[in-house]
Amino acid sequence: MQMCNLIPVAVTVGANKIVPTVSIPYPLGNPSLSEEEQWKLRHHRVGVALDALTEDIKEQTVFKVKI
Amino acid sequence: MKKAVLYINQFFAGIGGEEKADHAPEIREGVMGPGLALKASLKNAEITHTIICGDNFMGSNTEEAIEIIGGFLEDIEFDIFFAGPAFQAGRYGVACGTICKYVEEKFGVSTITSMNDENPGVEMFKKDTYIFPGGKSAAAMRQDTKKMAALGDRILAGEKRFLAEEEGFFPRGIRHQVWREDGLIAADRAVDMLIKKMAGEEFVSELPIPKLDRVPIAPPVMDLSKATIAIVTSGGIVPIDNPDKIQSSSATRWGRYSIAGLDRLESGVYKTIHGGYDPTVADANPNVVVPLDVLRVYEKEGKIGKLHDYFYATVGTGTSEAEASKMAGEMIPFLKEAGVDAIIQVST
Amino acid sequence: MRLELGNFFVNKVTFGEVTGFSNGTLTINKEEAIAFVKEDEHITECDIMIANPGDETRIVPVKEAIEPRAKVDSKAAAFPGVTGDLSQAGIGRTNALKGCSVLAVGKHWGSFGDGLIDMSGEGAKYTLFSQLINICLVADTDEEFERHSQQKKNKAIRWAAHRLAEYLAKAVENQDPDEMEVLELGSISKRGSQVEELPSVVYIMQPQSQMEEKGYNDLLYGWDLNQFLPTLVHPNEVLDGAMIGGSYMCCSSKFSTYDFQNNPTIKRLYREHGKTVNFLGVIMSNLNVSLEQKERAIYFVAKLASMIGADGAIIAEEGYGNPDADFIGCISALEDLGIKTVGMTNECTGRDGRSQPLVTLDEKADAIVSCGNVSDVVELPAMKTVIGELEALSRDGMSGGWSSDEKLGPSVRPDGSIIMENDSMFCGDQICGSSPKQVREF
Repeated sequence: MQMCNLIPVAVTVGANKIVPTVSIPYPLGNPSLSEEEQWKLRHHRVGVALDALTEDIKEQTVFKVKI
Repeated sequence: MKKAVLYINQFFAGIGGEEKADHAPEIREGVMGPGLALKASLKNAEITHTIICGDNFMGSNTEEAIEIIGGFLEDIEFDIFFAGPAFQAGRYGVACGTICKYVEEKFGVSTITSMNDENPGVEMFKKDTYIFPGGKSAAAMRQDTKKMAALGDRILAGEKRFLAEEEGFFPRGIRHQVWREDGLIAADRAVDMLIKKMAGEEFVSELPIPKLDRVPIAPPVMDLSKATIAIVTSGGIVPIDNPDKIQSSSATRWGRYSIAGLDRLESGVYKTIHGGYDPTVADANPNVVVPLDVLRVYEKEGKIGKLHDYFYATVGTGTSEAEASKMAGEMIPFLKEAGVDAIIQVST
Repeated sequence: MRLELGNFFVNKVTFGEVTGFSNGTLTINKEEAIAFVKEDEHITECDIMIANPGDETRIVPVKEAIEPRAKVDSKAAAFPGVTGDLSQAGIGRTNALKGCSVLAVGKHWGSFGDGLIDMSGEGAKYTLFSQLINICLVADTDEEFERHSQQKKNKAIRWAAHRLAEYLAKAVENQDPDEMEVLELGSISKRGSQVEELPSVVYIMQPQSQMEEKGYNDLLYGWDLNQFLPTLVHPNEVLDGAMIGGSYMCCSSKFSTYDFQNNPTIKRLYREHGKTVNFLGVIMSNLNVSLEQKERAIYFVAKLASMIGADGAIIAEEGYGNPDADFIGCISALEDLGIKTVGMTNECTGRDGRSQPLVTLDEKADAIVSCGNVSDVVELPAMKTVIGELEALSRDGMSGGWSSDEKLGPSVRPDGSIIMENDSMFCGDQICGSSPKQVREF
């Protein structure tokens, strides 16, 4: 499971399960949000990544995140 | 005089055709078969030994064949290794590639072979050894061995780097900078290229887009609530004194750091040493790169079975693929030993 | 827009009583020049040293290079928004001292984006700046907050070098130049049928803007390119001090201010204009870090190129690694619109040369000029003289240097010889267009 911001890079190098992150310097945070909002965001995206681990995919897949 | 070894198959050794393709590896002193043609062109070395192996033996018992041949080579001195030419013979081409790759890695000696561009051995091994495009049949023996010998002579004379295009071997995916002899600057090359491209004329890109590697898809985790999950990052998060001295770019080192008993990574205790991004946010809260805080919650809730007691970190900027694979190879035994079922890799 | 560049060819720089230019010699009153630099109280220590091509001299850590320039008959600044108030760059007359550059050199401290220049020997071929007479402003500052940071803004010393470059060129204010170079390119929509029948070409620049905190990135009229959307720029503005190099990117990939001022791709397109192509102008873009920002910039570039009717484009990327996503993304978007595109970049193939050359690839990028490889390892003997501090290469996290390596040892050896990656050769890959290098398969 690859969590990264630069989806094109992950796709080029062949990662199969990809969950998008916020930015390069802060993949799972965002300084424009409050600490609490950042925690929620991180909790959500890591949760998506954990669920994605159980998915039986057939090709490279970028999983959708809500926040 | 320097010493060369040549690898050939049972057919070119005169042992027999298809019926003898199971012939086990043997080593003979001196030159025979294709070696005579190679010897005629090779100036800087004497071919002291010939190794013979049946194509099917190499194809079906590869590990055994390599082990036997490796044993032969350990007992002799040699400065360069040749194989073939294999022409269009598929199994022979693959055998030449296999043994060249092994000899180069094991003994650190340059290896040279030749095969027709339709030979499957080309695609399989062109990155691992020098392969010259050869003829379709043994009729091309003299010219094919001549090319092999010419490069061999230059390697033996101490030359180290050879341009694929100039020497004629298949490009090996090894790219380095050179100074152009014509001194033509990049601006002129770009404008000339664009004028040709717009006019629909032929042009040559200086960076041909290589075929992309695909990775087999890992089987899914069946039961997350029983799984052990580990965090790996190329984002350079380390204890504040960077105990493993991981480089801030072009990293060759990595570290594993215990998170047993920790609920989050504290600022001031951990930081990033990654040179390729603005560290302000990650230094203030390392959990934005190593999301320990939320994974601990998922562990307590029982969504995951267990969070592995260490996180693994290196720096991804300017780091070569070879070093990255090497580091992964070093991390994997630790992860396997701890029974880790899946990894979340966070990159920056 | 019409710009007259009054070129003075400098073949010697010396210290003397009066700062001025005569018969190819630039004389600098060192004391006065240092006093001028020290008007900025953040400069705590300062010296000026001359490095000539052929000298057995190594200069490190180099933070910036600037060609001395001053506007003539006007109060406008040579670097608007940086050395003075804002004004329109690219018009009127500017004096230029050719064949030399002012270098901003750390007296002690280096940073990630700083570089190295050898003035002679094997190392000289790695950077264009070995061919220039370098007026080295060697300084230290009171910027304690970043003294031991790997990333430094280097503001005081870079600004001091810009000011010194302008100060020196002002010395020729009332003299006739050796050559008058006229750069004129009129409105895109009113060029006449003869020019408009030629294939139209736009030049796209992607200068570095990855740092979200202000002070590190390339500037356009003093404006940090991180908070920026691609816009149309006249080529004269690029050549006339509107663009300032930054203090972030790995050095061989970097565009110094000198490289903007002398951009050879713009110069060549000017020469082709009206003959083989219709040179439309420049789209100035950037290289931000998040995918959303990258995509937004890509859409803007492609849209602008299409609106101005480009048939072809040349795009130059200042950097490698994640900026490759902007570079390849832009090429792909332009090709999708039918705009034939040539990309200019460098590669990062690892010390063994086997790594994927760019982190993102696309088959649509079928025309690339490759200006250098950041990861090639360079080993060089000691030099008689070091301007700056050699230890910076090992100690301060310069991108191509290291403090220890299992196989190679430290970058700086006790005898003064060095081993480093091309990554820290000062603006060595010359992606603006003067690179005589190319990456090839071995």
